Amino acid sequence: MRYGMVIDLKRCIGCYGCQISCKMENATPPGILYARVSKEEIGEFPNVRRASIPMLCMHCASPPCQEVCPSGATSQRPDGIVEIDDKKCVGCRYCMMACPYGARYYHAKVRSYFPGQGLTPYEEWGYRNHPTGVVEKCDFCQDRLAAGQEPACAASCPSHARFFGDLEDPFSEVAMLVRDRGGYQLHSQLGTDPSVYYLPS
Amino acid sequence: MPLLVDPFDKLTEDLKSTFRPQREWVDKRGLLLVTAHFLSGAGAGTWLFAWLLGLNWGLAIGWVLVAGGAVAHLLFLGKPLRFWRIVRMPQTSWISRGLLSISLFLLTALLYLLPGYFPGLPWNGDSGLGQALLVISLIATAGIFVYKGFVYAVAKAIPFWNTPLLPPLYIAYGLRGGLAVLFVASAIQGRAMDLESAKALELWMVLSTAILLLFYMGVMAGAGVTTAESIRHLVRGPASLPFYLGAVAVGLIIPVAFGIVSYFSPLTPGAMSAVALASLVGDFYIKYCVARAGIYLPVTVRFPARAH
Amino acid sequence: METAVRFYGYFRDIVNEGRAQFNLPVGANLADLIQALTERYGDRVRERLLRGDGSLQSGVRIAVGGKVVDSLDHKIEDGGREVDVFVMHEVAGGAEVEIKEDVWIDTTCALCYSCCAIRVHRVNGVVIKIEGNPDCPSTNGRICPKGLSGIMMLYDPNRINTPLKRTNPEKGRGIDPKWVPISWDEALDIVTEKLRKVRQEDPRKLLAIGSVTNLSLYRQLLSFAMAFGTPNSWNSGAGTHCGAGEHIMAAMVHHAWAWNPDADHCKYFLNFGTPAGFGAHYANVAMTQRMADARVKGMKHVVIDPWMGMAAEKADEWVPIRPGTDTALVLGMINLLINEYGLYDAESLKHHTNAPYLIGPDGCYVRDEKGTVQVWDAGEGRAKAYDDPSVQDFALEGSYTLGDTACQPAFMLHKEKVKTYTPERVSSKTTVPPQTITRLAREFGEAACIGSTITLEGKTLPYRPVVVGYFKGSQGHRHAALAAMAAELLREVVGASAVPGATLGTHARSLGNPETGIPHWGPKVGPDGLMVLDTFAWPVASYNPYPPRPARKPETVTLIECVPLPGSTSFPPLVMADPEKYGLDYKIEVVLNACSNFPMTTADPDLVSRAFKDLYIINYGLFPDESSELADLLLPDACYLERLDTDTDWMCSGPPTGAWAYHLRQPVVQPLHQRRQFESVTLELAERLDMRQDLYMVLNMMHHLEGEYALDPERQYTWEEVVDRRYKAWYGAKYGVDWFRENSILTWPKKVEEVYWRPFMPVRVPIYFEFFPRVGQEVEKIKQETGIPFDTGDFQPLPDWKPCRSHESTNPDFDLFAIYFRAPFHAFTYTGNNPMLDEISKMDPYNFRININTQTAAGKGIRDGDWVMVESEATGKSVRGQAKLAQGLHPEVIAVAGSGGHWAKGLPVATQEGKGVNFEWLLPLTFEDTDTVSFNQDLCVKVKIYKEASQP
Ligand SMILES: Nc1nc2c(c(=O)[nH]1)N[C@H]1C(S)=C(S)[C@@H](COP(=O)(O)OP(=O)(O)OC[C@H]3O[C@@H](n4cnc5c(=O)[nH]c(N)nc54)[C@H](O)[C@@H]3O)O[C@H]1N2
Ligand SMILES: Nc1nc2c(c(=O)[nH]1)N[C@H]1C(S)=C(S)[C@@H](COP(=O)(O)OP(=O)(O)OC[C@H]3O[C@@H](n4cnc5c(=O)[nH]c(N)nc54)[C@H](O)[C@@H]3O)O[C@H]1N2
Ligand code: SF4
Ligand code: SF4
Ligand code: SF4
Ligand code: SF4
Ligand code: SF4
Ligand SMILES: [Mo]
Repeated sequence: MRYGMVIDLKRCIGCYGCQISCKMENATPPGILYARVSKEEIGEFPNVRRASIPMLCMHCASPPCQEVCPSGATSQRPDGIVEIDDKKCVGCRYCMMACPYGARYYHAKVRSYFPGQGLTPYEEWGYRNHPTGVVEKCDFCQDRLAAGQEPACAASCPSHARFFGDLEDPFSEVAMLVRDRGGYQLHSQLGTDPSVYYLPS
Repeated sequence: MPLLVDPFDKLTEDLKSTFRPQREWVDKRGLLLVTAHFLSGAGAGTWLFAWLLGLNWGLAIGWVLVAGGAVAHLLFLGKPLRFWRIVRMPQTSWISRGLLSISLFLLTALLYLLPGYFPGLPWNGDSGLGQALLVISLIATAGIFVYKGFVYAVAKAIPFWNTPLLPPLYIAYGLRGGLAVLFVASAIQGRAMDLESAKALELWMVLSTAILLLFYMGVMAGAGVTTAESIRHLVRGPASLPFYLGAVAVGLIIPVAFGIVSYFSPLTPGAMSAVALASLVGDFYIKYCVARAGIYLPVTVRFPARAH
Repeated sequence: METAVRFYGYFRDIVNEGRAQFNLPVGANLADLIQALTERYGDRVRERLLRGDGSLQSGVRIAVGGKVVDSLDHKIEDGGREVDVFVMHEVAGGAEVEIKEDVWIDTTCALCYSCCAIRVHRVNGVVIKIEGNPDCPSTNGRICPKGLSGIMMLYDPNRINTPLKRTNPEKGRGIDPKWVPISWDEALDIVTEKLRKVRQEDPRKLLAIGSVTNLSLYRQLLSFAMAFGTPNSWNSGAGTHCGAGEHIMAAMVHHAWAWNPDADHCKYFLNFGTPAGFGAHYANVAMTQRMADARVKGMKHVVIDPWMGMAAEKADEWVPIRPGTDTALVLGMINLLINEYGLYDAESLKHHTNAPYLIGPDGCYVRDEKGTVQVWDAGEGRAKAYDDPSVQDFALEGSYTLGDTACQPAFMLHKEKVKTYTPERVSSKTTVPPQTITRLAREFGEAACIGSTITLEGKTLPYRPVVVGYFKGSQGHRHAALAAMAAELLREVVGASAVPGATLGTHARSLGNPETGIPHWGPKVGPDGLMVLDTFAWPVASYNPYPPRPARKPETVTLIECVPLPGSTSFPPLVMADPEKYGLDYKIEVVLNACSNFPMTTADPDLVSRAFKDLYIINYGLFPDESSELADLLLPDACYLERLDTDTDWMCSGPPTGAWAYHLRQPVVQPLHQRRQFESVTLELAERLDMRQDLYMVLNMMHHLEGEYALDPERQYTWEEVVDRRYKAWYGAKYGVDWFRENSILTWPKKVEEVYWRPFMPVRVPIYFEFFPRVGQEVEKIKQETGIPFDTGDFQPLPDWKPCRSHESTNPDFDLFAIYFRAPFHAFTYTGNNPMLDEISKMDPYNFRININTQTAAGKGIRDGDWVMVESEATGKSVRGQAKLAQGLHPEVIAVAGSGGHWAKGLPVATQEGKGVNFEWLLPLTFEDTDTVSFNQDLCVKVKIYKEASQP
């Protein structure tokens, strides 16, 4: 069992829906984006291409973040999910230096989305799960998985560009997509072996 | 139109740039970490040279500096009260190793020093236990020298750091810093004579670190788009002021110039400590600049797979 | 006795202040203090402080007089009435919050008119999550970024929460109105008095302003205005920007308000700048996933757009074009298809359009003595009535003489006319290379598979897997109607309309739920065999471009009666500035605006402000936004998460294929604070103004409430009763509000006869707009009589490319065109204050920036991130922003996102320097820049751009 996500760049329209979906699911504080979309422009007029690359924690099979974590707060579950125990994290941010995918965010202090206007009831609700002084990241929506649901970003994507499943099961949708459509990992040369694959646009 | 304060820091701006700088280890409270690395490196160097040169007064300075570094390190943590957790993973984490070294050093070095101040204790510096403590403290010193470079060097995400050149550079800076601390301290205490023999060494180290630094930067400039961007950050970008003023002018040119002068006429102790002070400042700035120039590997299609 | 309380840590974040004074009775203890805190700051603070059993939460420290205490009985006096309350961030109290309520409520999004079905999670009264409703066959439970983030609008502390009255008589942009809160009673008294006065004097003095974002609200606003007796209602920027030309054509050609691609079968999408399926346009979420399927299945997608926008980013080919020249390209392609390649669908043209109708030298149909339009039967070699079943072969070409009249089939005129659009000439207008034009024309013509068929559900239908996309981008120009006409002809020439694979009018035809047979609508045969519109099929009743109503002299500030075709208008600010000039014998005195931010969405905001300055303006809205700056009274509406709505099914909110899906918009929380839903308040106003009978009559007509569901003026209804009746009238007795509350979605599959209705219906659509010149003459007469500078030159039966004002500009300083585009994460101006969408806007490379081609910028010494000014030649106004250098942009163009540039102080997130620019400052509001046929505004202007002398 190894959970993985496949993001089909042919389907993705770069709408940032996953970014907000994740935000609303996890009530992440301002500036903390477990899921985000990065935009690129390549070429010169008129031979130009633009690309949107949705990013999240790659749940690397060999996670450099875990390797450097001095406290043992970052660990990997048997199903491949790399998680942070916010009760153990000391906030040294070493993992942020090691993660090649910009997946980790340090939560310095409680901030309102409406600065100087207090927290909305929604944010207040959300802050229960966001202690300060520690590093946070995507956990593949493990609570949703436990409840038998897809991760929020995959479930909401208006383009159905995100697929989730077991990479080790050769007949799973994700494994087949990777195989049939030439799925690739980002920065595979680093030996991190991400569990998030991309399909070419 | 009213200009309101942007509620967010640079993060969103950073995220849209191809070359995203690391900020956590250098901006705001991140300065504590740079300071920690600077103090612990210089402190360990001080301890080493004080021992080598037989300057007992210098040992205590070394200990205090390392302790200061440790405190700065703890203050940097998001959860300082959980500091004890930071040494839990020495198998894999250089921070664990480093803080174990620091803790070991602080403990053994303190025990080694204590009899000098409290003569009634059951051991002294020359006793078997004292010597054992000294040896352990020296080994720990080595750990302190080495770990900092490796902390940076294993960061796969930041090519400017992710190089075997960084540990030697940090070791060299640590050593040079240690000696420099002794020079400055000796000048303050009026005990310049103690260090007469080390003058040449200090000047030689100033030169050799300069060469090492240039070599490192030269290699990095050609090591890929990201490292080239890091160099640009230092040479023409947002970090150029601290780089030129702190690291180059104060940290390199002044000491090297003095070194060249000393070739023709021996330096006075005052001048020597000025050189040392300059090299210390430079030492701090180098650490600062290396941290500032830490730029993440872009996660882009423009640089697919072989980004660095 | 006064007690000073200081707040620390998380508590301070919650209550948003550091200290506060409380007046506690003598002998009060900690429990009393907590009670007082709860009263002031709401239940949430109690939850943070106390566990369910009443003991203090862990992580909470309360010190009285500097001593930490843990007993609630502790007397406040003992500490000198100084209390410190500290809640640790880590715990934030919440981990131990007792879950008293945990529900999901199904409802409908309204952040744009795609009306996606959503489900909303509410815990302990707090809305914590919005998701797509997985039971909805349109969206399959998927949802866009705007829809996801709606919670931030519900709880935005900047919302209007009570009625507010202006106290500063001075009005204008940037001037603080000095609002003071008043009670609803007082507010309604004021409204009643104002409205009663104008209704008695002259009801036309009321202007109702609304917009199409929320159709339930808009229908109610229009109904109220009609019942009130004013013909003056205006949907502001909407309609004059959207695609006024397109909507006229959609009504006449597609029996629909708008189109979408047949994503199930399309193989080639020739897209003139529409994000249909790429984050905007209609049925956004539903189309996005279907178009993604089409891409994966190999559909080729060519996007013609000056800007590499959402669609072009996903295209196989991007063809940058000079703004406002698409019509030339379209006609050039038609020329190649007909005259060079012979790639056109003669069968479709013969049987489903008026292409074979014979046209005389006067440009009119040739009719027999009974007045029936004639065609030429090539089989028998003689003229016949167009509907004569014996016609063997409708002639499309040739010249004939009937009696003394020389005539030609309409198609022939078309064929001749497009000959002037040679690839070279088109290229010189559009900047698209001639080779590209010829290649695209051939690719498109071949992809159309003319002559081939497909069998669906046992029915054999023409298979034309090509879609032509166009909407406000390519038609949003000075000659909008002709642009739309040309694009429609490109579809018709290859027979690619309302058949599998082609462009589909959305919800053109409904045969009803098999269980009930309703709702039922569809194309009808009208005069000369051409299609007429079923009122049911249009978002708001009473629009019909064909047969056209007569043109009339100005009666309203909208001038809409002067021209028979437009459905909306941008003229009110112009006319209101000088009503006498337009022959109006009254002046607008009171404005009721609900749901439009018109000063930011209509051209020339200064002109708009001037025109509205001296009126009494009632703004029934959500935010103290730019329109509120002009208002005298603000009334707090319920937002979509707090509303019960009649219309959650825009006629084009769903995808054209698949299944019908109807649902309800219901409150997921009762309106917070003192917000009240507009519709209920208008029902109350009708009582106060003694206009119940009028209003009910109009509502019955607007909502098609007939028989037992008709509102009876003898009784008074609540809004919920009205909604319930509307639902039952539309879907059957069983399907009232309660049914939808329980079952959420009413769905049944679409039939091929509904989706691909063309082959099944005996109606024809125009490719030759024979009646246009007659309409033009009527308008010309009005122009002569009133002096209104309408341009009647475009009332022609066949399209032409004509230049915009921007093409004729001769001032070399103004060397660039400016255009704007939609972002997938904003809707109009109304999401600007949503901080999560704002966060995206800041991350997005283009959204808040003034985008300029990299090479063009280099020539002007502009670097990425420089602060620049953009000055409009037409208005002389400038906007300021940061430049973004982009390769994906035509070198003659600068492009900005449509949603930025707020200036209202009441929107602190949106109103910040550098957060985009408001395009309207660059657009002039004049007759010269408005298409007379459709009232569409020209959305391209000539500008100059320069770097600011001092850069911050
Ligand atoms: N996310 C989102 N979706 C929306 C809305 C929203 O605000 N946000 N608004 C809804 C509304 S009201 C409407 S009217 C529709 C509008 O939907 P669209 O008509 O699709 O509107 P835009 O995206 O503004 O413009 C489309 C494109 O036209 C291009 N363009 C500009 N000038 C020209 C030209 O001369 N020729 C060509 N070929 N292209 C040109 C622009 O670069 C842009 O990429 O979207 C609806 N859907
Ligand atoms: N600069 C610029 N101008 C444009 C456009 C653009 O993109 N940029 N687009 C053009 C187009 S195509 C269109 S359709 C128009 C749209 O123009 P408008 O219809 O004016 O759209 P918005 O600016 O979003 O204004 C909608 C207003 O309704 C309020 N509102 C939303 N929901 C509710 C509700 O439930 N009740 C009440 N009472 N109010 C509500 C919002 O707060 C907001 O103030 O603008 C046109 N003009
Ligand atoms: S939500 Fe889907 S389509 Fe939108 S950016 Fe994310 S992956 Fe792409
Ligand atoms: S993406 Fe980054 S945070 Fe996630 S597992 Fe890999 S290294 Fe760790
Ligand atoms: S910040 Fe936390 S998770 Fe990251 S390395 Fe340090 S202790 Fe581990
Ligand atoms: S899997 Fe869950 S936590 Fe991770 S990015 Fe997606 S929504 Fe966020
Ligand atoms: S597309 Fe429109 S209706 Fe659908 S979720 Fe997004 S904003 Fe709401
Ligand atoms: Mo629109």
